[in-house]
Amino acid sequence: MRHPEHEDFLEEDWLYEAITETYVPLISVFEGLVADGIDFRITMTLSPTLISMLSDSLLQERYLKHINKLVELSQKEMERTRWQESFRRLAEMYFSRFSHARDIFQKYNCNLVNAFKKFQDLGKLEIITCGATHGFFPLMGVCRDSVRAQVKVAANHYESVFGRRPRGIWLPECGFCPGHDEILREAQIRYFFTDSHGLLHGTPRPKYGVFAPVYCKGTGVAAFGRDLESSKQVWSSIEGYPGDYNYREFYRDIGFDLEFDYIKPYIHPDGVRINTGIKYYRITGSGNNKEPYVPEWARDRAADHAGNFMFNRQKQACYLNDLMGKPPIIVSPYDAELFGHWWYEGPMWLDFLFRKVACDQNEIRMITPSEYLEENPRNQVITPSFSSWGYKGYSEMWLQGSNDWIYRHLHAASERMSELARNFPRAEGLLRRALNQALRELLLAQSSDWAFILGTGTHTSYAVRRTKDHLLRFNRIYEDIKSNNINENWLSDIEYKDNLFPNIDYQVHQ
Amino acid sequence: MKILNKVKEKLKKIIRAKPVSLKTKKNKSAAIERPALTTGDIPGFQEAIAVNTKFSHPEDMRARTVMPQELPSSYDQDKIILQVRDPRWLHTYWELRNQTIEGLKNKLGDEFYRAKKILRVYDVTNIVFNGFNANSFFDIQYNDFANSWYIDTAGPGRSWCVDLGLMLTDGRFITILRSNVVSTPLDSPSWITDEEWMIPEDIFARLYGMGFGLGKSSPVGRGWQQRLKQGLFSSGVSSSPVRKEAKERSFWMKVDCELIVYGATEPDAKVTVQGQPINLRPDGTFTLRYYLPDSKQVIPVKATSADQLEERTITPIVTRETR
Repeated sequence: MRHPEHEDFLEEDWLYEAITETYVPLISVFEGLVADGIDFRITMTLSPTLISMLSDSLLQERYLKHINKLVELSQKEMERTRWQESFRRLAEMYFSRFSHARDIFQKYNCNLVNAFKKFQDLGKLEIITCGATHGFFPLMGVCRDSVRAQVKVAANHYESVFGRRPRGIWLPECGFCPGHDEILREAQIRYFFTDSHGLLHGTPRPKYGVFAPVYCKGTGVAAFGRDLESSKQVWSSIEGYPGDYNYREFYRDIGFDLEFDYIKPYIHPDGVRINTGIKYYRITGSGNNKEPYVPEWARDRAADHAGNFMFNRQKQACYLNDLMGKPPIIVSPYDAELFGHWWYEGPMWLDFLFRKVACDQNEIRMITPSEYLEENPRNQVITPSFSSWGYKGYSEMWLQGSNDWIYRHLHAASERMSELARNFPRAEGLLRRALNQALRELLLAQSSDWAFILGTGTHTSYAVRRTKDHLLRFNRIYEDIKSNNINENWLSDIEYKDNLFPNIDYQVHQ
Repeated sequence: MKILNKVKEKLKKIIRAKPVSLKTKKNKSAAIERPALTTGDIPGFQEAIAVNTKFSHPEDMRARTVMPQELPSSYDQDKIILQVRDPRWLHTYWELRNQTIEGLKNKLGDEFYRAKKILRVYDVTNIVFNGFNANSFFDIQYNDFANSWYIDTAGPGRSWCVDLGLMLTDGRFITILRSNVVSTPLDSPSWITDEEWMIPEDIFARLYGMGFGLGKSSPVGRGWQQRLKQGLFSSGVSSSPVRKEAKERSFWMKVDCELIVYGATEPDAKVTVQGQPINLRPDGTFTLRYYLPDSKQVIPVKATSADQLEERTITPIVTRETR
């Protein structure tokens, strides 16, 4: 989401951090692999909102400003740490990484979607879509039209960017409800993912557990189930790789550690300290004492962990192969931001893993869901279970005392949108603009992020404001359309603010 | 999505930033009062200004359509919606039009006030529900002010429908609204196996346990409970896979030292500090800032005139010792 009226805003900071710490490092890894002739496969979701943000020229301009400041800060750091050798070499590392991020960003014309598209066209990366604004589908149960709009807007947006229909979708929060596969089929989406219990508790029992996809009964859309063993190795806060003592400590950033006047130009303009991305310590141990980060040690650990991950997958695959009598598929989904942002060495770990799998063994190989389905068209037919990968596995995170009040408003707005789409089948001109904007506002209000923030119970006022703003704008457009009194000035104003999906067609909401 | 920590960090800043951003808005509106700019032409400004005027220029309010700040308390509908929270719990919310309530009052008279407000929860698994053929039902009495309710069905893998109604003193139940039908998911593997794809129980048990990352011998019945204990949900309680260490005690202090070396010379002179060339500002001044570890630092600052005929060296010596 962009906020043209503010110079500095929440989601924009997230975007910049993600570009510098996750997307650019991943793109660098892919570039290196292609240059070295290493064959690899990875499937990534690029949500329509992320694609929109990456393609927005205002945000691109602001990112350049942002990365230039980071380069400048790292230069200052190289000087400041002159008498502290273990820090100075890290300042140099950051200087080179930030400069490199700026180079990569500019190499792809300031639009990283071009980079991802390149690796998709090379057949290494499969990009899948997501809900248009990350609405949580299971809580739109009574508003099928909205689920359809979330899927169709996303799929159409994908097609306009990548020149073909998306083959797969990452359902927001992995939230699946039986019956929504029908909507996926309408959008020509061939597969989606569920958490492990989505398949394991499906009916009838899935013969191969989560180690083979199933087709949904009645629609034939494929569902792949998440493997928890491989998730645990990377994800678990207790036994997962990212907690290794040699890895970089996330929570010690110079944005918080350094003297105020010095760091002030690089934190929030109002003087609130934030992460800058420059962090000098390694996790070190379980206490508060932290020692300087040693990149060489971290690199060695990343290589060890990649080897360990591969070894475990080989063993797992061999065992499953014997048990099932056919090769299993192991689906290991992670948040993209885990790699680089939370786990600094994550992209490096992936790089080692790709190289080892390609060069050091021949028991397992990497595959995209599309390739798997082409090679293995015969699969069991079941109805997967309602499930999500959120807290406790279902809807509770988004449906509890602190956020349940939003649904009566969201559902009412959804009904109203269907009514508008029905009553104005072929709108033109200003009316059409108003109808399209109504759908934009509805989609924005449906983002599950608002309910999630409300559910966490801390700093909820922003989420309340966002939910209300979009719903109030929607309601006003609805009233204006019904009373045939559209205020063009006001409409232009909110079209400028909430400008995503320029080619949206309100008719998808039915 | 692991956004919890980011949300904490960043919403803090947004919230604290508020007074200042209001100030900037004021500045913007001041700029707009200049004749060169017309408000309506600047996209993105109008709504922000409308908010701002609420605080500073109440007289301008009349000229603009002001957005309401709160959502409507009702949508003038008779409606009850049922949704599933998890294998065991449902959530329902409802809305009744005033005229519907008035109608009931007229029809029932005093009986309306004596009647209990009831949610009747029907088990409608595997049937087409017609109001009379439920497999079973149970009643929940709700209070006057409620407009939503969490229902414990204790029934995974079943279908449900809810009537909002009144229980009259003579025991009759009157339905006011009927909800949509929903199904709770199973919390264990289905008992239905596919003949075409038969698989022996013990092999399935192993696949089931492995699917949950529990190793090769997990009893099928308890798989889900163990999965819950394991966590590993994306947006679970711990939002980051990277541990954050709790501070051992709440009270703390830290102290560190940096050294600022500054000076001035002819703007076209060449200056080195500890042998390293540095850049001067256009007016010939310079400032350097160093982290100062416990040590003795000898810092020769040497300036050479542009024609290289003159030279000055000044050498501060600084010792830091922390006790």
